[in-house]
Amino acid sequence: MVNVIMATTPEQSVTERIERPAQPPVSAEPPPTLTFEAKNVSIWYGEKQAIENVSLDIASNAVTAIIGPSGCGKSTFLRALNRMHELVPKTRMDGTVLLHGEDLYSKTVDPAIVRRRVGMIFQKSNPFPTMTIGENVVVGLRLNGVRNQKFLNERLEKSLRMAALWDEVKDDLHKPGTSLSGGQQQRLCIARSLAVEPEVILMDEPCSALDPIATAKIEELIHELKAKYTIVTVTHNMQQAGRISDYTAFMYLGRLIEFGPTTKIFTNPTEKQTEDYITGRFG
Amino acid sequence: MVANRHILGTFDESLSALRNNVLMMAGLTERSLERAMKGLFDRDDDLCANAIADDEEIDQLEMQIDKDGVAILLRFQPVASDLRRVVAAMKLSSNLERMADQGTTIARRARKLNHHPPLPEVELIRPMYEHAMSMFKDSIDAFVREDVDLGCAVVTRDEKLDELNHEASRKLIDRMAQDREQLRGYLNLIFIGRCLERVGDHATNIAEEAVYAAAAQDIRHPSLTATT
Repeated sequence: MVNVIMATTPEQSVTERIERPAQPPVSAEPPPTLTFEAKNVSIWYGEKQAIENVSLDIASNAVTAIIGPSGCGKSTFLRALNRMHELVPKTRMDGTVLLHGEDLYSKTVDPAIVRRRVGMIFQKSNPFPTMTIGENVVVGLRLNGVRNQKFLNERLEKSLRMAALWDEVKDDLHKPGTSLSGGQQQRLCIARSLAVEPEVILMDEPCSALDPIATAKIEELIHELKAKYTIVTVTHNMQQAGRISDYTAFMYLGRLIEFGPTTKIFTNPTEKQTEDYITGRFG
Repeated sequence: MVANRHILGTFDESLSALRNNVLMMAGLTERSLERAMKGLFDRDDDLCANAIADDEEIDQLEMQIDKDGVAILLRFQPVASDLRRVVAAMKLSSNLERMADQGTTIARRARKLNHHPPLPEVELIRPMYEHAMSMFKDSIDAFVREDVDLGCAVVTRDEKLDELNHEASRKLIDRMAQDREQLRGYLNLIFIGRCLERVGDHATNIAEEAVYAAAAQDIRHPSLTATT
């Protein structure tokens, strides 16, 4: 849950203010609109429980970063937001995930539709190797039966522009997607994800295989995309989480330890486990 | 609070070196102020000269702390309590340097006073000195022990120091009107009082930083806290 924000009042004494740790006084701001509401989510892979009773609200048009050591369940949780974890055999899940109030796991909901509404970018860019740059971008639309070439061309340019890649590839749309650099390939995958006009973009360590310049471009892109999309990203890079996210969730051993505004988590976390992890005192 | 050690040993070493330099700087500043005031009360020019000489080492430490602090920010990108401690250390060094400057000013004025017949009114300054030094020592203790209550208490004691300064200044101005021969001497005592009042202001700043480092609470300008 997003932490309840308490403002201090002028009549409080100094000591009182210390004893009641205050959040940044943003009480004038309306509570954020929520894209996801995950409630008591637990997931098992066979006998092994990957995440345990995680409840987390994801604000709209904001970047939420999920951090935590390897194996803490952050990628599993991310995948639960578009039902991708179900692709792993012998998966079982408890709890609910609401997307704009609608239960993603309702029997009437088609997982393929969920994955179109909630796009995902992976650690390693994965353009389709046999397709051109242009084909890669619109493949999702084609698979959904769109054949109108004018519409496809418009969406192709729009998506590549939004992914900040258009200027670099507009004359090479016929070349293979794999001919691009690693950073360009990752932005191509983002363009591919944007082409089907999702509501949310999930990113699983999107920059971990990129050099600092390509990373900066993706981070800048994330910043621009949040005006239109809700973004949830998993990252091992704490500095990156600090730079790009509005909210940060810290997970450990399958549990959500702490969640709150990124500034709060990185300057004054409430939980000692969070403090130990982000300051490098873990283990 | 005893924190676990960082996985990265060099990070611990760097933080420890930064903290030790701050404590050394605080020790030298305390010594400089004590020497300057003892030089005034005991009319000892040598002590005044020592207080002035201390300033150079304190200035060097200020630069070293800033350099080390920037290096830690650059190399380790500290967060949470580590970040607050580094930021607080850098702010402390700036306040300590300015405190030591007050010590130098006091020592210079004390030397001038020592060249003239003693003024019994010098005792008007003593309560201020004792109060300012107790604020200073407690502010450093609050930083060292991460004691939020002590830090907050120091902040509230600054008002008393201001009152003592007003009281001493008023009495010295009265004396100036009565004894114009000693006008320059009384004026020097008024300036020394003002220096001590500023020492209290810096101690307040240090206490506020100590609270920030320990509890991430900004207790400066309470009237603004609810509106910003």
